[in-house]
Amino acid sequence: MTPVRPGIKEDVWIPTCCGQCYCMCGIRVRRQDGIVTEIEGNPDAPTGRGNICVKGLAGPQLLYDPYRVNYPLKRTNPRKGIGEDPKFVRISWEEALDTVVRKLKEAQEYDPRSVYFQATTTQASEIRFGVIGFMKGFGTPNYWVSGGGLHCGNGAHFMNGIMHMAWSIIPDFANCNYALNFGCSKGHGAGHSAVMNATQAADARARGGKTVVFDPFQSAQASKAWEWVPTRVGTDGAIALGLVNSLLNEHGIWDAEYLKYKTNAPYLIRPSDGRYMRNEKGKALVWDLDDNCPKEHDDPSVMRVEYEDQAHDVALQGKYVVDGVECTTGFELLKEHVKKYSPEYVEKISWIPAATISRIAKEFGEAAEIGSTVTIQTSKGPKQVPKRPVATHFFRGSQGHVNSGWTCLSIDMVNHIVGAADTVGAALGLGAAVNSGYEPTGKPYQMPYPCPDGLMVAGAWVYDHLPYPLHEPRQPQRLDLHDMFPTSIYNAITIMNDNWFDLLDQFKIPYRPKVMINFGSNSVMTMGNAEIVTENFLKKFEFIFSFQLYVTEFEEAVADIVLPDACYLERYTPAVSFPSTFSHPQGEDDWGWTIRQPVVEPLFERRDFNVVMLDISKRLGILPKYYKGLNDAVPMRYGGPMEDKYKLCEDGSQEHTWVDICDRLLKDRFGEEHGLDFVRKKGVFTWPKKKEDVYWKWFQSVRVPIYFEYFIDGGEKITKLMDSYGALGKGGPLDLDWSRFKALADWYPCPTHTLDNPEYDMHTFYWRAVMHCNSLTQQNPWLDEMSQEDPYVYALQVHYDTAREKGLKEGDKVWIENPEGHRVKGWIGLTDGIEPHHIAVAAVAGHWGEYQPIAKGKGTFFNDLVEMDRDHTDPLTLNQDICVRVKIYKAD
Amino acid sequence: MARYGMVIDLKRCYGCYSCVMACKVKNHTPPGVFWARILKGEAGKYPNVVRQALPILCMHCEDPGCVKVCPTGATYLDEDGVCVIDTDICVGCKYCFMGCPYGARYAVEEWGSYFPEGLPVTPLEEFQARAFEEKSGFGVPTKCDFCADRRSFGKEPSCVAACPAEARIFGDLDDPDSEISFLIKTRRGFVLKPEVGTNPKVYYLPPR
Repeated sequence: MTPVRPGIKEDVWIPTCCGQCYCMCGIRVRRQDGIVTEIEGNPDAPTGRGNICVKGLAGPQLLYDPYRVNYPLKRTNPRKGIGEDPKFVRISWEEALDTVVRKLKEAQEYDPRSVYFQATTTQASEIRFGVIGFMKGFGTPNYWVSGGGLHCGNGAHFMNGIMHMAWSIIPDFANCNYALNFGCSKGHGAGHSAVMNATQAADARARGGKTVVFDPFQSAQASKAWEWVPTRVGTDGAIALGLVNSLLNEHGIWDAEYLKYKTNAPYLIRPSDGRYMRNEKGKALVWDLDDNCPKEHDDPSVMRVEYEDQAHDVALQGKYVVDGVECTTGFELLKEHVKKYSPEYVEKISWIPAATISRIAKEFGEAAEIGSTVTIQTSKGPKQVPKRPVATHFFRGSQGHVNSGWTCLSIDMVNHIVGAADTVGAALGLGAAVNSGYEPTGKPYQMPYPCPDGLMVAGAWVYDHLPYPLHEPRQPQRLDLHDMFPTSIYNAITIMNDNWFDLLDQFKIPYRPKVMINFGSNSVMTMGNAEIVTENFLKKFEFIFSFQLYVTEFEEAVADIVLPDACYLERYTPAVSFPSTFSHPQGEDDWGWTIRQPVVEPLFERRDFNVVMLDISKRLGILPKYYKGLNDAVPMRYGGPMEDKYKLCEDGSQEHTWVDICDRLLKDRFGEEHGLDFVRKKGVFTWPKKKEDVYWKWFQSVRVPIYFEYFIDGGEKITKLMDSYGALGKGGPLDLDWSRFKALADWYPCPTHTLDNPEYDMHTFYWRAVMHCNSLTQQNPWLDEMSQEDPYVYALQVHYDTAREKGLKEGDKVWIENPEGHRVKGWIGLTDGIEPHHIAVAAVAGHWGEYQPIAKGKGTFFNDLVEMDRDHTDPLTLNQDICVRVKIYKAD
Repeated sequence: MARYGMVIDLKRCYGCYSCVMACKVKNHTPPGVFWARILKGEAGKYPNVVRQALPILCMHCEDPGCVKVCPTGATYLDEDGVCVIDTDICVGCKYCFMGCPYGARYAVEEWGSYFPEGLPVTPLEEFQARAFEEKSGFGVPTKCDFCADRRSFGKEPSCVAACPAEARIFGDLDDPDSEISFLIKTRRGFVLKPEVGTNPKVYYLPPR
């Protein structure tokens, strides 16, 4: 029953899905006399279960902001760049589409690959379906999500994909007793499935669960923790390897059962080249201690799929002779390798006292309760599984460094040493990896399977390229040379050289970028130094058109046409929580497939991006190919092939509306009776989650690596290929330390740690404030108001002692400047809650654009300090480094 | 008849502002006015320091200072113990602002806009200004009423409903079996500024 105010004729609540960040919680939106007035959580949606965050609540302002783009705009100032007034004028949709289609046709005739799609992760559901479908249909592989990936995912998502078949990891809050957060606000406002995780993390605190947080400052998670351990930014990988060392070599704690049967720890390694010892059939071998002989890794006698299965004992340590070669195990090599990460060594790097590292390792190891089990009710009856109520987890902060890949693997390694992975109480794949599907249709079906070496391969994934096995590095087709780098999701090779086109010549790429289609991204602000991004990359495009909610700094600088996009309250999206990444609560709730439906028709002349892309495809004459692109995108991303009757027509005999496309996808996944009309009633389709899908580790016949043998090959192939283009030499365009492709984890310092210039005596980093996501939310007046209420969000957080030493006081306007001479302005907020050598900066703030007056001038534009070059790039994943050494001084 | 109160569990709360926003949207408060707020502070010295968020709202006191000083009886406790304002009787003298030891009252002279002057008022702001005027009015004190309209339809106050951490519990203090009575008893529930003697019905549970 809804309260109705007198005089109001219409008062309805419409269930749909939030779009203020990538978490995509279920919401109900109130419409009174045609006006959206209020938003609350949707209790039917497992993502949120009725609770809702500050951003979600503020949604109505996005719909009505007078600064929204409401009509197509055309740039009349041909000059581009930061500070140029674009002199936008209003044009008709017809003129806008004519221009856009003409430019796309020219590009199509020249080379379809010359069209580059840039998108935002805020609209993650659109970019996995509509965008991908169009790209496949049009025939371009060139795509990125600007700050997404390079700031928050190349290391994290890739490595979690290898280790958990998931986008991310998080403690099984319901059962975890001891969580180690490496930074990481999951469960405390930001991160994935943020609202549900916040509820679960609060439940864990109430239950007495302990959290220890490594973080340079008193983040939300640190303030709620059992223990805050101040750290030096960017050293998370070293801390994690210190914990691994301390567990293995100091305290002698590891889960032998887990390591023997669920990892490649027992695989025998050939000493000559670090590769697996293989038999004549090419099978990797383990040493069977019962039969005292080598066995193939998947010989039934040494396989233990379910916990209750019996298997021969296999060797984790020792030396064994196979075919006259004395070899040892991956575990033995790891144990030996991490010895250099002694507590004392890690103290020097991380500034955490050696005794603290040693103690936390012991606490973690003991809390893991190795050997303990619990019985869970699976669909096949009660089953015994290990209980491991500990977890490490991490996200954007610890992964955003030149050591991104190894840092992520090292942090997760701590879990795997004690068997705390995808079982009760442990670190679970977030974004929920294993899914048997809705029973009547068996979809979405996401099941891992083993590669010939026994390692886990994801059964469904959000991209065409899987996290494992690595694809063959090949002659680059893409403008960012992505094809050559199988361990990277995105890269900034396009930007990090000021001679991008020379690089294309060198790698024999025969075409140049012509048209950029931007969907919602403000990449001028979300990547790194704005001038470098604009000059080295964006200005190289001949024509840029942009679907946007606002005229952002991106449009001001480089867009030729701006198309007024509908926001999430004005459109249909057929699948929001799938592909499985951000939007599923881990643990035991139902599965939920959320959709979006318009609460109001698009206002003014706004049009839904999806509908416009259909229109553009039709005008280009590629509709059947676009349909085929969508059809082809479905099986891998949404778990299972489409039935023929629901597939979009590929022969040109039928046209589909966007609503029809949405309806077909739903019917294909959930049956004829569960199309759009059914799902829109609750805004979500739910079905029960099986316990063996939540705690899947001891039900799946797959192992995960702790010894990354295949990286050795990967690195050799990449360098060989690069050498064939003469690109390996010192000082060359891609002169990175490729020797980091190796089998065992290490920590490598960032420029922040190696800079030998006492003038730049402060470390700075950015953090995600709960009221902001990406760069969009800064213009929301309610969220701006909350940010002003908070003492930290718009401030540069500086320690009292540091400020005193430097003669600075609360509220002082200051510059912070990096060694390359890039500087940004802000004001000082004094605090005791920060390691004194650090400055904390929040969010993508410090906007300067004229068309977002609420956002303008608030906070500090941290990313301007981020150098996009080789020295700040992780060789393993091509992730960007996002910590910076600076000096701080008073601004006049 | 009930004696409504609220418990805010500081162990669960992580200071995310959902309550502040939910209240703002639901009660249509104008720019700069928050019936629910969060105060943030730090205790201790580095490295033994902790940041604490403290959500505040009208405490709906048993012996409210605001009621005592109100010359017209416009401010009173309703039959459920909720401190409310009858704007028809209120003369706008604002004595109650000084009577309230918790700073929970807000005067609104005009609605104002979030956006720069000279722009047309958005439909949302127009709706909110009207709704605010109907519910609260201008020139009179305004404040939290535990979402009277939501309660009349059996819903919890909006700050309670939104809270991602489920840190806010609303209920009847007279009911010994209610969740809030249980929590106050078993988790050492306390009130802010007990020394002023107004007997708040908003309780807090310790953060650690």
